[in-house]
Amino acid sequence: MTAWLLMLPALTLLAVVFLAPLARYAWLSAHATSVLTALEPVANGGANWLRLAQDGRFWQDAGQTLRFAAVSVGLELLLGLALALLLRGPRGGRAAGGGLRTAVLLPWALPATVMALGWRWIYNEPHGPLNSLLIAAGLPPYPFLSTPASTWFAVVVADVWRSTPFVALLLLAGLQAIPPELEEALVLEGADRWQILRRLLLPLLSPWIGLAALFRLAQALGVFDLIQVLTGGGPAGSTESLALYAYLNAMRFLDFGYGATVLLATFLLLLLPGLLWLMWQRRAGSAA
Amino acid sequence: MIRAVALLWSLGPLLWQLYTSLRPADALVSGPQGLGSPGGGIFGGWTLQNYSQLLAADPPFWRYLLNSAVVGVAGTALTLLLAIPCAYGLQQQRGALRWGTLALLLAASLFPTALLFLALLEWARQLGLGNHLLALALPYAALSLPLAILLLRAALADLPPELEDAARLEGLGPLQRLRFVLLPLLAPAIASTAILVFLFSWSEYPIALTWISRESLLTLSAAIARIGASSVFTIPYGAFAAATVLGSLPLVLLLLLFQRAIVSGLTQGAVKG
Repeated sequence: MTAWLLMLPALTLLAVVFLAPLARYAWLSAHATSVLTALEPVANGGANWLRLAQDGRFWQDAGQTLRFAAVSVGLELLLGLALALLLRGPRGGRAAGGGLRTAVLLPWALPATVMALGWRWIYNEPHGPLNSLLIAAGLPPYPFLSTPASTWFAVVVADVWRSTPFVALLLLAGLQAIPPELEEALVLEGADRWQILRRLLLPLLSPWIGLAALFRLAQALGVFDLIQVLTGGGPAGSTESLALYAYLNAMRFLDFGYGATVLLATFLLLLLPGLLWLMWQRRAGSAA
Repeated sequence: MIRAVALLWSLGPLLWQLYTSLRPADALVSGPQGLGSPGGGIFGGWTLQNYSQLLAADPPFWRYLLNSAVVGVAGTALTLLLAIPCAYGLQQQRGALRWGTLALLLAASLFPTALLFLALLEWARQLGLGNHLLALALPYAALSLPLAILLLRAALADLPPELEDAARLEGLGPLQRLRFVLLPLLAPAIASTAILVFLFSWSEYPIALTWISRESLLTLSAAIARIGASSVFTIPYGAFAAATVLGSLPLVLLLLLFQRAIVSGLTQGAVKG
């Protein structure tokens, strides 16, 4: 009984902040609440959802958000693994000291808006450092943030810079949980480093990789801060994410009903990596 | 060699901000693109004018840092106040109830919080919480609770059960056991949790953006975004860079001081949840 009383305040606040919004969005999405209705809710059946189904901008943003999440999380896992192996140091050698770890962790600790503003300068055309390098090499400057075909990748690079440390730390913890005897046994068998990685480390790391992928995918599908400050969704909407589109609907177009519909749709999209992860867990569980 | 590349990749962008922030505005845009431009070259003409400009602005830039610090401390305190008893209560539960709650908490800790802004804004308006710095602690604590409870619960599970049994035999009630026996032993986990929650509250953006409109109450994140959006047509990158440096400095200090606690918090939270 006491146990429940101790949990009650926290659980209440959690329900108010996590569950109630979803219920509220479901209600809002069944109503028109915009400037046209003087911001008063008016039930409009499924009109918001019909509009969503036919909204080219929503589907474009959904595709862009998925592409952003898939590419940036893929790169983060790859680089994060490399960084984790680097931080662990050579077998038998000393792990990287606190200094290197602190340096590597720094990008992750910065507020997203701060690092986004920093990257805006790095990408600046023609005065930013990247273009200064291009020009110094005798190449023409490149408009990193105003090329609709490629700006999304500039955003991915900034996100990879920020989030790789998180993945690396998680995988480093995984690496450190692997008993060194296993690795030594493989070395005695004459396995090279690549074989050790493929046959021993990767299989044993897979739960950690799955966890990192799950967490990063969920965060990347809801990306907002970075894109709002770095590109504002541009050029020509080519980097707009679903969260940013929902924000614009609610705060700029003052259409709360449709904004809530986009938010709820984004939440449904989020269930996708969760389901994939559960399926993967089940398969891993039955294989073991 | 590879370590040097990793260092350069992590610190390069920041060092470049530091360099930019110390350059006079005309050196950044004059000549053939800044780097190695005539009249001064890469290392000519240092200046602190970008910083003095930021600190002389109205409100001065340190105000945003102070606001973020206030919100960060308040959010962290409220989170711990709610999370510690909850983790203790959760650890007393058995079976499906405990695992179900843990699974829900894990799902909530994965949730991208930007998606919650609209509903939270509605409540803030109804309750008149807008433009109050301390009110931000409420959503920040709520959003930090899942991770905080998971971390603290995992730390509690690591303590030997005999400890509590002995205290119970001594006649201590559950709250006294928590206060006098368990809490001192939880100190490292509480420190890890606190620093992670502080980092989150310090940096949070969507809620600060929508709850706070008064210039003097902006947190660092919201102020940086506003500075970035305010001047699309000029290139005050010296000032941007100075803002980035000033905004990063407190975190560099925190990281240097608490690197170990942060790392253990991050990894424990993921694994033992």
